[in-house]
Amino acid sequence: MTGDDTLHRILYVEDDADIRKIVSMSLEMVGSYTVASCGSCAEALQVVDDFGPELLLLDVMMPDVDGPATLRELRKRTSAENAPAVFITAKVQAGDMAQYRRLGVYDVIVKPFDPMVLPERVGQIWQQYRSGAYDHAG
Amino acid sequence: MTTPDDMVAAELARLSADFVARLPEQLQAVEDEVTAWLDAPDDPERFEILSHRLHQLKGSGSTFGCPGISRAARTLEQRLDTYRRGIDAGEPPAAADVESAVERLQNEVLRARGQSRLPEVNG
Repeated sequence: MTGDDTLHRILYVEDDADIRKIVSMSLEMVGSYTVASCGSCAEALQVVDDFGPELLLLDVMMPDVDGPATLRELRKRTSAENAPAVFITAKVQAGDMAQYRRLGVYDVIVKPFDPMVLPERVGQIWQQYRSGAYDHAG
Repeated sequence: MTTPDDMVAAELARLSADFVARLPEQLQAVEDEVTAWLDAPDDPERFEILSHRLHQLKGSGSTFGCPGISRAARTLEQRLDTYRRGIDAGEPPAAADVESAVERLQNEVLRARGQSRLPEVNG
């Protein structure tokens, strides 16, 4: 944490290389965030401690280790145990949301999304989190 | 002067063109995986591979300017799920619903590449 209310560092995990590229670019160039962009849970675990994320942005459906399992692994690291987690998914059903909440997911961004407006959406979620407005998703 | 928004929009356009160029290859992979899975529908690994590919097509299609691809991938995903549930229930359904969903995806690939004159399906 930097001592102010501004979001700086986002750890982003997404297996689709093209989506990962455009989202990272948008978050960095349009949103002015610093993004650690990872293609898998294993990559995320390699960088998380040095990066010290303030927010976790995770794709849900990934091969091998999916979003929920990636979040569970990241939560074991002190560097990510308290960062709010946001899932990106094309499929949200009532049961999914309840499961995500039990995992401690703060919010969900539904695919498809416009990469150009994603930074603003992430900024809104961060502001809600910082203001303590926990009961908003689902 | 080029703004960050312009640069992201230009990259989005480039990735969208790449996405469309790779669609025939993606379609071929889907067709092969559907055929393989219909031959061995009790193979969960094949189903996972196919589901993941369709999930990516569904997410990428709309992001990269091809909502018809997303809709067709979603329909095929749903039909495969229905087919699988029928198998699990001991009532194997006809594969025709799956095959028609593959045809719809084929048509959407042609449309995305400017090669189809068939009407768009929105549902």
